[in-house]
Amino acid sequence: MVELKIKKVWLDRRVAGTAPTRLLLEKLEGRPVEIVETAETVRRAIRLAPDPVGESKKHLFVTEQKSFIRPCPCSPGCVGCGYWTIDLDLNCPFDCSYCILQKYLDCQPLTVAVNLEQLRAELDEFFSRRPAGIMRVGTGELADSLALDELTGHSYFLVESCRRRDGFLLELKSKSGLPRALLQIKPAGNVILSWSLNPPQVIKGEEKGTACLEERLQAAAEAVRHGYRVGFHFDPILHYPGWRQDYERVVESIFRRIPVDAVVWISLGSLRFPPDLMPLARRRFPDSRIYEHEFIRSGEGKYRYPRPLRLRLYGELAGMFSEYGAGDRLYLCMESVEVWREFTEKIKRGRRNSAFPFPWQC
Amino acid sequence: MVYRNIKLVDFNLDDRRYRFTMNPADRRLLRSVKEVGVLQPVVIVSRHSRPVLVDGWRRVEAALTCGLEELPALEVATTNDDLAVFLLAFFGNYGQRTFSLAEKSLAVRKFYEFRLQAVDLIERILPLLELPPERRMLDLMLEVSVLEKRFLEIMHRRDWKPVTAELWLDFSPAERTWLYPLLERLTHNQQREVIENFHSLQKKIGRSLAELAREGELAGLIDRLLKGESGAADCLLTAIRQANSPLLSRINKAIGEEIKRLNLRGVTLDYDRSLEKPTLCLTLEAGELKELRQTVKSLSGSLGSGGWHRLFELLHYEGE
Repeated sequence: MVELKIKKVWLDRRVAGTAPTRLLLEKLEGRPVEIVETAETVRRAIRLAPDPVGESKKHLFVTEQKSFIRPCPCSPGCVGCGYWTIDLDLNCPFDCSYCILQKYLDCQPLTVAVNLEQLRAELDEFFSRRPAGIMRVGTGELADSLALDELTGHSYFLVESCRRRDGFLLELKSKSGLPRALLQIKPAGNVILSWSLNPPQVIKGEEKGTACLEERLQAAAEAVRHGYRVGFHFDPILHYPGWRQDYERVVESIFRRIPVDAVVWISLGSLRFPPDLMPLARRRFPDSRIYEHEFIRSGEGKYRYPRPLRLRLYGELAGMFSEYGAGDRLYLCMESVEVWREFTEKIKRGRRNSAFPFPWQC
Repeated sequence: MVYRNIKLVDFNLDDRRYRFTMNPADRRLLRSVKEVGVLQPVVIVSRHSRPVLVDGWRRVEAALTCGLEELPALEVATTNDDLAVFLLAFFGNYGQRTFSLAEKSLAVRKFYEFRLQAVDLIERILPLLELPPERRMLDLMLEVSVLEKRFLEIMHRRDWKPVTAELWLDFSPAERTWLYPLLERLTHNQQREVIENFHSLQKKIGRSLAELAREGELAGLIDRLLKGESGAADCLLTAIRQANSPLLSRINKAIGEEIKRLNLRGVTLDYDRSLEKPTLCLTLEAGELKELRQTVKSLSGSLGSGGWHRLFELLHYEGE
């Protein structure tokens, strides 16, 4: 599991004396603890460090969230996938060179919310909506869903809160291993455990602190054996010499361990980032070459690979997955209508179908 | 503070410890001083028994140029330490105008040397300078402040942003020296683009700027730019952009040639050069119905040619 490098724990005064906070502190014995009024005090300490992003991952802030559930904003001009996010934790102990949170979270420490009763109430209200199709909800947008789980036990809470909620799929998305807690409970049919994957050398070079590919796939296989269904995210797909063979090996490795029927979805997304991430990431990861590539500035202002290249990446990966009968589990993350249209046309062998719902909703 | 007139010869103008502004006396100030002298007193402080200028460098420069012998001055008490005096210099200018990045870096350097605590510099001064209150920004400003004077001047004149300065610092001293004469001939936006593109290109292909500059097309364009040829800057920028964007450049070139081959009259073809939208936009131009009919007829006639097919193939190209 993840080796946490937390050097200080900061408690929001509002939750300092609560039972969940005390439980957390027991697991963090030995670390200095300070009670503060707001997160701003923590951010201030982080800002003074030479590498605020790196520093933010060493401070844990225990607090309560005002509200948890919101629709995933996607990216302007892109085709959304109807995802909802639960902002239970903020920030991530992993340090990926391409991670947009480096810029987005602005010195936010690793933040854990302990007011789970409020989340339960929000979830109850959310589930009462009874959608016509399927609604997907997950905790992996502003944090890794499982990275802090040994500390927080949030996965157990979420699985139990979402169990038997028809029409809703809870996704716990991670780059870590599988928390024991999830193997100690009965799996829920509507809980999908998913892993972001990349070739081993990309993980080694660009995804500092994360579990290696082997560990992630082992975790996924273990989850499947226990009865969970799983998902995979190839996001960001990186383009570099030899990328095709590397990704092909990853796809092979998946299906060597995991039956295709256990895979609910696979998302594809290529490297994209706001312009101000580039200088920050270049400074923080001087050995990384991912920013030394041909990019275009897309409509929403982000840098992306040019469309012909993105289509090639998606097309090749779709071909690889189709060989294992998983072509219909694919969707694109934060892509334009044009790319969706050309991509789906290809995987449906000539049938034009750029619209939703996703295959698993049909 | 005490008001008095002070002789210019008494100033120790070599002592520039409080100076962080970079604008010279302009023609308007010179004209004003010539007509009516210096009206607004400069600020001075006595150090080692000689008056040192705190604020009013442009006024002193104008007075010297206009041959004035003395100036009105406000003298700060000698008991004030350098930090307290520099705060006067800083805030004396702060409300007047926005500082350039070079001036900001020099101000930060002064505060640092006058022993303002790093935490105060980060939390109090950087926000005043509209810079992110982070340690990294303090470090960047301190790095910028010790660049050669000519580099600071070009940053000041062309109003560089921190991101450009950061890339600039990433070049070796020899590369900066090589780039400098090119930058002198470019506008603010061109400077930014040249620095970004050279930086990116150099990282991508792993060769030094000097090596890059010896290559065929770039060498010729750099030579033209250094000779002051008009339009050379734009051509150089286009060439570096193309070198940085080989895939799109190749497709765009092929599309351009295909459009040319179609040889359409009265029809303008346009498309998104970033190729994000794989569509063509056709504009028909006609002054009268007869002309429109002819244009449409000729357009229809051309649809049978392979050119259109190739054009759409290029727009939908997938590849590396």
